[in-house]
Amino acid sequence: MPIFEVNGRKYEVDEDGFLQDPSIWNEDVAKDFAKSEGIDELTDEHWKVIHYLRNYYLQYGIAPMIRKLCKETGFKLNKIYELFPSGPAKGACKLAGLPKPTGCV
Amino acid sequence: MARERSWRAQKVIERLEQKVNRQVLLSLAACVHCGMCTEQCHYVLANPDDPTYAPAYKADKLRKLFKAHIDWTGRAFPWWVGARSVYTDEELEDLKDTVFGKCTNCRRCSFNCPMGVDMATFNRLARGLLVHVGIMPEGVATVAKDQWEIGNQMGVLKEDYLETVEWMEEELQDEFDDPNIKIPIDKKGAELVYTINPREAKYDPRTIAEAAAIFHFAGENWTMVSEGWDMTNFGLFNGDDELGGACARRVYDAARTIGAKRIVISECGHGYRSTRCEGPNWSKTDLPDIEMESSIITMLRYIKEGRIQVDKSKNSIPVTYHDSCNMARSCGMTEEPRELLRLVCSDFREMYPNRQQNFCCTGGGGAMSMAEYAPRRLKSAKIKAEQLRATGAKIVITSCHNCVDGLTDLIKHYQLDMEVKQLVDMVYNALVVPKPAPKVEVPVAVAPGEIPAKALAGYKVLVIDDEPDVRTYLRVIFKDKGAEVLEAPDANQGWRQIRDQKPDLVTLDLVMPHKTGEKLYWELRKDEKYKNLPIVIITGYGKTDKPTVRFHEFIAEKGIPEPNAFLEKPIDPDKVIETAIQVLGTRIPSDQIQ
Repeated sequence: MPIFEVNGRKYEVDEDGFLQDPSIWNEDVAKDFAKSEGIDELTDEHWKVIHYLRNYYLQYGIAPMIRKLCKETGFKLNKIYELFPSGPAKGACKLAGLPKPTGCV
Repeated sequence: MARERSWRAQKVIERLEQKVNRQVLLSLAACVHCGMCTEQCHYVLANPDDPTYAPAYKADKLRKLFKAHIDWTGRAFPWWVGARSVYTDEELEDLKDTVFGKCTNCRRCSFNCPMGVDMATFNRLARGLLVHVGIMPEGVATVAKDQWEIGNQMGVLKEDYLETVEWMEEELQDEFDDPNIKIPIDKKGAELVYTINPREAKYDPRTIAEAAAIFHFAGENWTMVSEGWDMTNFGLFNGDDELGGACARRVYDAARTIGAKRIVISECGHGYRSTRCEGPNWSKTDLPDIEMESSIITMLRYIKEGRIQVDKSKNSIPVTYHDSCNMARSCGMTEEPRELLRLVCSDFREMYPNRQQNFCCTGGGGAMSMAEYAPRRLKSAKIKAEQLRATGAKIVITSCHNCVDGLTDLIKHYQLDMEVKQLVDMVYNALVVPKPAPKVEVPVAVAPGEIPAKALAGYKVLVIDDEPDVRTYLRVIFKDKGAEVLEAPDANQGWRQIRDQKPDLVTLDLVMPHKTGEKLYWELRKDEKYKNLPIVIITGYGKTDKPTVRFHEFIAEKGIPEPNAFLEKPIDPDKVIETAIQVLGTRIPSDQIQ
C-alpha cells in the first residue's frame, strides 16, 4: 500500500494518491494534501467546497455532480477550477478524502 | 489422470472456443516471434529489462491456451508448440494482471507487425474471457455495472443530467446575453442528436456549453436526449460484446426516436470507435438512414460551409496535437483534426512520431479506471512526456477524454509546463460571434447627449427607495429636467402616493424593509388600474446575490410582465433621464390631462 508522507504524518493512499480509508479524514488531511494539488493555502472558499463534498459523500457514499457542488456553494464552474487546479474530481475530492471517482477520469 | 481445473478456468476455456473468430485466429496463428513489436510498446520502452511487457510475451499468454484447446498442432504436440492450459484461479489472476495492467490496447504494436497480428484484438478477447467469470479490476466492474444498470458509466441520474444541461443553457444565455440560445432536449424532428461522455455532465460540463454555442451559432437543428446520451462504452474495454451492444443500442434507439439523420459523437476516442465502428456489429443493428460522425467533422464542416466564423488569432499560444489511439489507429481519423486545428489556432506544431505512429497517452483501454495500475501507467508515460516536451507547445490538444485525463496525469507527474484541451475548446475560443440583431428601440424623443434642459417638464415622477441619499440624488436629477418629484421611503407609502398623486413614472427599489419592491410591483401589475403604469426598477447588486436575478425569477413565476426598464446602481444621471424619456415615450404629461 503506498504511503503519502507529509508534515511528519503518514497516510495510506491508493495508487492515484487518494486516501485509502475515507473515514479517517479530518481537516489536517485536506491541509496536508493541498500542496500536492498545487494549492498553497486553503482559504474559506476552499473549505466551503471541501466541507460540501465531505458531507455529501458521508450522506450518499458518492461524489456529487458538479452542478450540485456549484449550486450549493454558489461558485461558478470556472471558480472551482481556479480553486482546485486539478479539477473537482481529482483535486477537490482528493482533499475532501473521497475515494477516486469511478469511470473515465 | 487429468489435472483438476477450477470452475472459472473451465468456463474460460469453454468461452474461448465460442469467441475465437477468423480475425483472432489469424492473429494467434500468424506470429513468428520476430520481435518487431517489442520496441513499439510504451511499457517496454519504460521497462527495457522486463520481458513480461513485450507484446509477443503478453500475447503468448492467450496463445498458449489457444494452442492447447483449439489449434491442432497444440493438441498433437503440446510440448513442441508451447501449448498450455489454465487450471487455477491464480493463473487467471496472473492473466488479468497482464491483459488489464500491462496493455492499453493502443494497437501501436499491431501497426508495426509485419504479419498483421492484431494484439489489441485478442487482448480485448482475453479481457472478455476473464470478465465472463468475474475477474477484472474493481474499477472496471463498477463502471460496467453502472453502464448496465443506470445506463451511463458514471451512474448519473436522469434528473441530475437534465439539470446540468439546463444549467449550461443558462450559463450560455448569460455569457452571450441572449435568451434565444437553447440546449434542446428530446426535440422531435431534430436533424442531429448530440451525444456525450458522462464525465462532461458529472465533472466538467464546459464542453457541453461550448458545443451548444457552436450548434447555436451554426443555426443547427439539433437536440440532446434524455435517454441514450452516453456514447461511451466499457464493452470495448472489458471485452464484453453484450455490454458493447447494449450501450450502442441505447444511442441508436435515442436517435431513431427523435427521427434524427445524424448522431454526433463528442470528442471521445473509444466512444467514437464503439458507437460508430463497433457498435452496429455488437448490437446487430443496421442503421441505413443515420450517419454517425465525430464532432470534429461537424465543426470542420460548419467552418468550411461558412456557418460559423472563426478567428485563429484568438488562439495564439503554441499548441500540439495528440492522436488518440482509437481515433487515429482504429478509425483512421488523422487529417481532419489537423485541418480543423490549423483553422482555429495560429501556432500549431506537430508532435513526433504522430498519426498512427503516435504513442499512447497511457490512459487508454480503460486504464484511468484501474487505480491499482497507476504507478505502472505513469512510469510507462516517460516516452509520451518526452514527445510532449520536445514540441515546445504550451497546450496539447486531443480528441479523447481518456487522453485528457491520461495526459493531465503525466504532465503533473513529469512536471511539464502544459495544459490539455480539446478541439471544441479551441473552436469555441476562436468563434467570432455575429452581432445580435438590433433591439427594437422604443421611440426616443431626443437623441442621447442632447437632452433638452426641461425634457421632463410637466411629468410627475415618484421615487420609492428606502435610502434617503438615493431619493435625494434622484430628486435632484429629475427636478433638474423639470419634473415634479414625489418621494416614498417604503412600499406602503409608495402605494398611497401612487393612488393619491397619480405619478406619470415610478422608480422602484427592490430591496426594502417591510414590504419588498417585488411585492409592490406584483400588486401594481395585478391591478387593472396600474398595470400599464410606467415603472423603472432601480436596484443595486447585493454582496452575495443578485436581486435582479431573483426579481426576474419572481416575475416569471408570477407570470407578470417585465418592468418598463431596469437600471442598476450606481446610477448614471444621463442614463436615468434617457431611460425616463424612453419609458414615457409619447405619454402626455399629467399636467396637460384635463
